[in-house]
Amino acid sequence: MLMTLSAQHLAKHYGGVTALADGSLEVAAGEVVALVGANGSGKSTLSKIITGVVAPDGGQLLLDGKSVSFAGPPAARARGVTAVYQELSLVPDMSVAENIWLTHEPRWLGLLVNRAAVQAQTARLLALFSGAISARLDPRAPVRDLPPDEKQIVEILKALSRRPRLIILDEATASLDSRQVTRLFDLVADWQVQGKAVIFVSHRMDEIFRLADRIVVLRNGQTVGRLARSEARERDVVALMTGQAAAGAPGDAAVAQETPAAAGEAAGAGSTLLPGAVRLQVDDLRTPNVHGLSLQVHDGELLGLGGLRGQGQEDVLLALFGALPHSGRIRIGGKVAAFRHPQEAMAAGVAYVPGERNAQGLLSIRSILENLQLPSWAGYGLPLRMSAARADGRRVADELAIVMAGLDEPVSSLSGGNAQKVVLGKWLLRSPRLLLLNDPTKGVDVGAKAEIYRLLAALAAAGTAILFYSSDDEELLSLCRRVLVLHDGLLCAELQGPSLTRSQLVAAGMGAVSGETANGEAAGGKADTAAEPGSTP
Amino acid sequence: MSGHRWQRLLSRHPYLFTLLLFAVLLLANRLLQPNLFESRVLSGNFRTFLPLLLLAVGQTLVVIGGGIDLSVGALVSLATAILVTNLLPESGMGAFLAVVGLAALAGMAAGAFNGFCVAVLRLQPIVTTYATAFLFGGVALWLLPRPGGAMPQELAQFYRQQTPLGLPIGVYVIIALLLLWLLLRSTRFGHYLFAVGGQPEAAYTTGVPVTWVRVATYMLSGLMAALAAAALTLGTSSGDPRIGDAMTLDSIVAVVLGGTRLSGGQGGVAGTILGVIVLSLIRNIISFANVPNWWQTLVDALIIVLALAGPALVRLLWRRT
Repeated sequence: MLMTLSAQHLAKHYGGVTALADGSLEVAAGEVVALVGANGSGKSTLSKIITGVVAPDGGQLLLDGKSVSFAGPPAARARGVTAVYQELSLVPDMSVAENIWLTHEPRWLGLLVNRAAVQAQTARLLALFSGAISARLDPRAPVRDLPPDEKQIVEILKALSRRPRLIILDEATASLDSRQVTRLFDLVADWQVQGKAVIFVSHRMDEIFRLADRIVVLRNGQTVGRLARSEARERDVVALMTGQAAAGAPGDAAVAQETPAAAGEAAGAGSTLLPGAVRLQVDDLRTPNVHGLSLQVHDGELLGLGGLRGQGQEDVLLALFGALPHSGRIRIGGKVAAFRHPQEAMAAGVAYVPGERNAQGLLSIRSILENLQLPSWAGYGLPLRMSAARADGRRVADELAIVMAGLDEPVSSLSGGNAQKVVLGKWLLRSPRLLLLNDPTKGVDVGAKAEIYRLLAALAAAGTAILFYSSDDEELLSLCRRVLVLHDGLLCAELQGPSLTRSQLVAAGMGAVSGETANGEAAGGKADTAAEPGSTP
Repeated sequence: MSGHRWQRLLSRHPYLFTLLLFAVLLLANRLLQPNLFESRVLSGNFRTFLPLLLLAVGQTLVVIGGGIDLSVGALVSLATAILVTNLLPESGMGAFLAVVGLAALAGMAAGAFNGFCVAVLRLQPIVTTYATAFLFGGVALWLLPRPGGAMPQELAQFYRQQTPLGLPIGVYVIIALLLLWLLLRSTRFGHYLFAVGGQPEAAYTTGVPVTWVRVATYMLSGLMAALAAAALTLGTSSGDPRIGDAMTLDSIVAVVLGGTRLSGGQGGVAGTILGVIVLSLIRNIISFANVPNWWQTLVDALIIVLALAGPALVRLLWRRT
């Protein structure tokens, strides 16, 4: 029987906070519905109610026309409803196969786990992504050794292994590279043919328009719009999300698209007008995943690091921050820097904004103030001058426009975008000379992204050298004047000026121009400029 | 490069260092005690560490499941008290099994209580089981106020003297434990155990019955404590209501020596068995090395600290060079 799910006026309150006020959506078998909204608009709560993780305190859920209430995730799964969450539900010490089949392992006589069947069925699932994953992703590989994108794929396969009728993909593409996203979308198309229903939660507008049949927009916990893809325009969706009228000036509606570009202009202008001194000079950097990389960052420059995920970008940043053993020559501000501990790097004016903000960037149960001041307490004397610390914390929070109830609230009370601002803010308090960023806008909503872009541009304009890794090509294109593309731990292209185009970035990321970087670069740039006008209609 | 390989090897087989230590200690022990491999001596050695071995296997399950059980020693005392107050020197096999069954039930009930406090009431395992240890120890003293009691003579004789096929009974117990462990690892419960210890939230959202798995580990630990008491009293033929006190921390040392991570989610029974043997070899060597009495505890402690720190020290040295 074909499934239809209908959520009607669902509501959920946590204490005095309304997480979801009036959430409604319908999805039928063979249909992909995109659920969009800014961070904190209630998307996660709505999908958690549908999968039984959270019990609603208002409204109702209809499955095939009948009212249901799930006691927990297993109850929802038993009815064919399952989700792929962004907070991973994997056990790091267990293998890929063990994780995928946990709680529904194929067994002999209902007693002993049939390992051969587990391996074989896992291999079959992994084959769905063959070509888009590394050979290292073996059924027996421990999950802890996998990079984030492959963990996400295991998570997707885990959901798929239960043969669900409704799948919720919650930001499932946020950590995937473009090849993997394409493969996932092909799979979703197959699922549609098979009659599965899909709810797709994403911040990426282009993916929403590639995949969804219909778009449901949430704002402040309420369903404010239901659009068919054929009649929806990007700016209408943005307008619904932000609550601003779409009829106004086009520039106003397309906030998401324009802001980073504008910010990029500002940053770029700063660096072209005032070419600063060389802040960072790296020669022949080597780590387990980087095999001899040289680069230069100038004061006031926003240098991008691009390429597919896991090509050594994170190693570069960690090595520069003294958090990873490495060899090679690093000079910061002309002085030789051989950091063996982040403390030494911090003392030299280096700051690092990690990618996994919950694991590496924040103490989630502690207050916002404590998180902001964690690297800076040493400057406040003994006993700590709390009023000064509080004033500084307040100033940075205001500068970043962190939406919060107060400095003493725990960081866990913040939405993803605001939490990321806290991670940035704690380093801004130290006024770093060199800022290292590891994919700072991953899983951050459009509004917060724009603010982070603005902030980076302002920092660069003020003379801070910034080395910026992003998995989002658009971001690199609009923010950076120069982008280094890594592939397999080596520099495979340096793109700037006319050669810094989307097609070059994608091609270099796939390793297409590797091997001829040094002398082929100028030619590649020219070839691209020659090709580019022809390709634009 | 070789440092990297060693690290990978060590992370895959965390008790590798202990295995090395085992070889060295065995050699040292053999030099100090030339008759070590004689059947009678070997059998005596196995009898000495068998109780700790059973106890540490139970502890291993709790630790893998993300907990810790500081009440195991008191549970050995309690089970000992139950055994020696209910048995007579002339009791037969049937009576013995019945009383061991009773002790096992008591151990599992006590473990269920621990599990209830930790998994349902969400109390901290270290403090909870430290507190319940006094409770269980108190019951043991109430049942058996001073050392004494009795065990069936014939069975004790058999246990002490028989070496089927020339091997100590302990060898068969170890083989049985390893087989049971392999079996457990292939059950769904075995998978749940590692999931609950490794990432409880992930296990919960996947639908693993986290509470039940935790309670079960403490119940199994209680059961193993009762079996340890049976092995202990068969060896000594009498009961001491405080006999288990010293065994709690030894069981944890053995678990760690065996490469099981105290934070849970990783490890195994085979390593623990090795850990128990290494621990008993250390004690054996000290008693044969003519170390003065007042030095014994110090030397014992130093070797244990070294053994525990070994893998980390090796890693540190490799990183420096």
